[in-house]
Amino acid sequence: MSVPDSAQLRKNTLPLWGLLLALCAIACNAGFFLSIPLQGGIAWLSLLFAVVALILVAFGLWRAYGQPHIYGGKSKSLVLALIALLPIALSTYGFVQMRKLPSAAAAPQVGQKAPDFTLPDTSAKPVSLDQLLAPPSPGSAAPKAVLLIFYRGYW
Amino acid sequence: MLPVAISVDPPDISRNLANKSGYTFPILSDPDAAVIRRYHILHPAGGPDEHDIARPAEFLVDSSKTVRWTNFTEDLRVRARADEMLAAAHQLR
Repeated sequence: MSVPDSAQLRKNTLPLWGLLLALCAIACNAGFFLSIPLQGGIAWLSLLFAVVALILVAFGLWRAYGQPHIYGGKSKSLVLALIALLPIALSTYGFVQMRKLPSAAAAPQVGQKAPDFTLPDTSAKPVSLDQLLAPPSPGSAAPKAVLLIFYRGYW
Repeated sequence: MLPVAISVDPPDISRNLANKSGYTFPILSDPDAAVIRRYHILHPAGGPDEHDIARPAEFLVDSSKTVRWTNFTEDLRVRARADEMLAAAHQLR
């Protein structure tokens, strides 16, 4: 049995494509800082890149190790696969972590009344929802609406 | 439309944030998350040291205290954009 000439082996480009897609999955996150529309789509696109990257890397490894008589570059495939695994794992972990949010199904919905509240402002002065909706000073116009923005804090 | 920010941060932390970022709209403190619970948007142990905090949520409330628009993100990286919130406010008559 003759050892196949390496020149006759086909190039296994799948691990490289997997690595490139895995980097795309990370690069997608830049979109969240650019305040562009359809950010929800970016999150899913990032996950899609990561999943396809994993498939390409796995298929590339299977080619290199399962079909060494057709494809060359065993160790190169392995190195590329190991490098690709980091961005794949990071973007997948990020996707899961960033979506660990409790449901807001019980929150006031459109058409319902907003619950009253009184909370201290930055000078520790109590402010109520009624006060927020009232004219800020006598004679001035009351705001048409208030936009309550609940945020996580710890800034 | 008056934006009002609410979190569990105490007033002095919020004051620092307002000074640093130049915010002039009201920033309210709900350290015990009582109002956050009342609005059913508590994120139990979501903050550092297992602190209860608010999940991100936006409510547009008109002068009759009726909710006219809401936004509850499913992903912390995806937040309501200023133009979305302004568009919702402009649609109020």
